[in-house]
Amino acid sequence: MGRLADAAVAGVYQTKQGDLSARPQPGVWWECVRGACEDAGIAVGDIDGLIGDGPSGVGLRDMMPAPGLAELLGHPIRFHSRNYVGAGATAAGLNLAAYAVAHGLAEVVLIANAVAGQAEGYASANRDEAVAHMAKLSGPYEYVYGTTRVSDYATLAMRHMHEYGTTSEQLAEIAVAQRHGATLHPLSVHGHRGDITVDDVVSSRMIADPLHLLDCCSINQGGGAIVVTSVDHARSLGRHAPVAMLGYGEGHSHIDPNAVESLSEYPAAKVAAETAFGMAGVSRDDIDVAGVGDHFTIGVLMGLEDAGFCAKGEGGSFVEKGGTSLTGRLPTNTSGGFLSFSHAGICGIFTLIELVEQLRHEAGARQVQDATLAFLNAVGGAQQAHAAAILGRV
Amino acid sequence: MTTATTEYRKFLPEGIPSSQMPFWESLKAKAVKVQRCDNCGAFLYIPKDICNKCHGDQLTWTPISGRGELYTYTVVRRAPTPAYQEEAPYILAHVTMDEGFRMIAKLKGVAPEDVRIGMPVQITYEDVTPDWTLMDFEPAPAAAS
Repeated sequence: MGRLADAAVAGVYQTKQGDLSARPQPGVWWECVRGACEDAGIAVGDIDGLIGDGPSGVGLRDMMPAPGLAELLGHPIRFHSRNYVGAGATAAGLNLAAYAVAHGLAEVVLIANAVAGQAEGYASANRDEAVAHMAKLSGPYEYVYGTTRVSDYATLAMRHMHEYGTTSEQLAEIAVAQRHGATLHPLSVHGHRGDITVDDVVSSRMIADPLHLLDCCSINQGGGAIVVTSVDHARSLGRHAPVAMLGYGEGHSHIDPNAVESLSEYPAAKVAAETAFGMAGVSRDDIDVAGVGDHFTIGVLMGLEDAGFCAKGEGGSFVEKGGTSLTGRLPTNTSGGFLSFSHAGICGIFTLIELVEQLRHEAGARQVQDATLAFLNAVGGAQQAHAAAILGRV
Repeated sequence: MTTATTEYRKFLPEGIPSSQMPFWESLKAKAVKVQRCDNCGAFLYIPKDICNKCHGDQLTWTPISGRGELYTYTVVRRAPTPAYQEEAPYILAHVTMDEGFRMIAKLKGVAPEDVRIGMPVQITYEDVTPDWTLMDFEPAPAAAS
């Protein structure tokens, strides 16, 4: 034992995404846990590892979720860890789960994310409250001037356009492709609104130049969970093709946007991808489907460039003419992503679950034919932290 | 506190460690200073614990020219709170200062459609409460060649 690739995602589950403010958060958390275990064919009582948060609680229950989970399951949890990489926490968490399984520290490891109830701050179902809360994440040297999460990314997009001639229409292609995926996913938050066009995106309300409303992720609630076990165990359960993590890498570069040389190119994203591809021993051309952090359309474009799917500055032409659509050269965020599927809590879990469903060949109308290898780039903050993974059907 | 403080409804700096207060005091004095590394001469902003170029730990608060050129920007049309929304649309600017480091603040005195990356700008000051002064940028005359 000891290889990350000896562990596999065996079960996944997602709730309907949207407004879950009428439901207490712990109920949604447990729904996700039960759902992921049922999908895997594993009993809830077999969980012996936890990554990240448990159901919401106060005091020690919040600080130490594993003992809280253990007292309900009736046996000790053998491994718990958590990380704080924002939306990227799920990919980073998958690495921790695979580590635990590969080293015999736990046999069935759970990662669950649930945003529901009358939550405050970023998890609130109230958009104004969530926006105001998230604006202050950047710190006082920025927020006093009225920065927002959108403005953080808008300044990157503006610089990218200046340096490389990237256009709003090219960014819009990303939103159009992802919305189509969401229309084919019954749990998505925006799929019911139907397909959109490039013209719809560029004529939608400007939020922070050059990002329009439809360049921006949703603000919503929802939940999802995965369970990780050994490849052998997953295979013996006989439910689904096991999906293993063949390569993994991280890159963390800065908090202060003034502290990096360029706002249009991120060495940390490159480091994460290089490490992951190196470990997996596969090339960019081998990748069938991708999940790239898409809080805003520019994030996908820069993420694909920095991960090496195209040269720096060529992201615009890469995504043109449906390059990231289901039938494009690299189908990306095929469930709709944060833009159209869900942006709730550690929302990277939804990106990951979509890749798992693609690699299982269980993505229904969104299925990318013969998908066997996937690339995941999970982003935390405004391009400040990256976790990259190569996932494979094994 | 005074009435002015209670009426200012936008975000004020919170949690500033005492080691970073010289920056805010320099804004109040309308003569901005940032840290400069005694070892390698790099200017550091926002304030750092150590130099992020050479890792030296002897940093000296140093006056700067206050001039620079626009590196990137955005026009905020959907602001974080109602108090900021009253000002919208407003321009947020990332500026490469003449000393070679970047700063972030609002850019005032120019219409959004007239903003150009590379345009020369300079720092101005705004006393927002009796305790706090913020900086802004405004267009500057082009540097004499």
